[in-house]
Amino acid sequence: MENGSELRARLKTLMVDNLMLQVTANEIGDDQPLFGPGSIGLDSVDALQLVVALDKHFGLKVPDQSAAKEILQSVNSMARAIEAAGKG
Amino acid sequence: MSARVILVTGGNGGLGQAIARAFLNESPENIVWLGVRNKRNLADALAAEFPGRCQCIELDVTKSEAWRATIDKIVHTHQRIDVLVNNAGRHADSLVANLPRESWDDVLASNLDGTFFGCQSVLPTMVVQKHGRIINISSLSALLAPAGQANYAAAKAGVIALTQSLAKEVARIGITVNAVCPGYIETEALASLPHDKRSVAFNRIPMRRFGRPEEVACAVRFLACPEAGYITGSVLKIDGGIL
Repeated sequence: MENGSELRARLKTLMVDNLMLQVTANEIGDDQPLFGPGSIGLDSVDALQLVVALDKHFGLKVPDQSAAKEILQSVNSMARAIEAAGKG
Repeated sequence: MSARVILVTGGNGGLGQAIARAFLNESPENIVWLGVRNKRNLADALAAEFPGRCQCIELDVTKSEAWRATIDKIVHTHQRIDVLVNNAGRHADSLVANLPRESWDDVLASNLDGTFFGCQSVLPTMVVQKHGRIINISSLSALLAPAGQANYAAAKAGVIALTQSLAKEVARIGITVNAVCPGYIETEALASLPHDKRSVAFNRIPMRRFGRPEEVACAVRFLACPEAGYITGSVLKIDGGIL
């Protein structure tokens, strides 16, 4: 089980690698929104990739859209979901 | 070309057989799964011809749970799926005035729902792979919308729209999605046409011959090859020049 900051760093690296973001992992804030104004600018295709990546790398299932809305708010929200599921 | 894992639905039909054979002949490393439903004699024969490289799997394309089981089995076996050819479909021609509701539903389900479920089922695996090729078999009927084929033409036109929409969604993930529109091809469907209708069809073809299943298969194989990686959302008609 990795600690919270390691998990968040891993999530950021995973996002940069998988979503081909034009920012570095260090530039992503833990609470920065992933979508919408002030966000890092993800879209629905990125969301699809993130859902698949969370399942593949952490075994975290995102079963439906309302869960996705909850979990995919920020790095922190993803980390919390992984920790709550005991997958971290 | 490295080994690829390919699923072709409608594996017992003339087109499905030709497509499967094209992939099997393309590389001795290719693995082909044939989705079959009621009839499977030809698919079984093809599987026997290529032991270890070709096998049949029961798949009702109109059922999402059947799709899930099929893709799970393929991915569990090979840890990947590289190519999906949505070829299964049927037609039940009738003028709209006389078209039974069940014929409408059945044709939409087998051609359009089946293609949708197929695309949706392979996406999680292809997204992880960051690679995949989906080729949807539409029809020239989607573009011509002939009288007496409202259900089939609507379903196949839907396949084109689905193809183009999905192509945009997954383009940057490395997945291409294309449609092929065969015209009059020498398959069971054409053979079942009455002689007078066959003659009318024949006379519409500028090349003055019907297409061969292998000619459609060749186009499908091309769209699935690495060199076609920049082609997505395309609609390729194979019709001897009708349109």
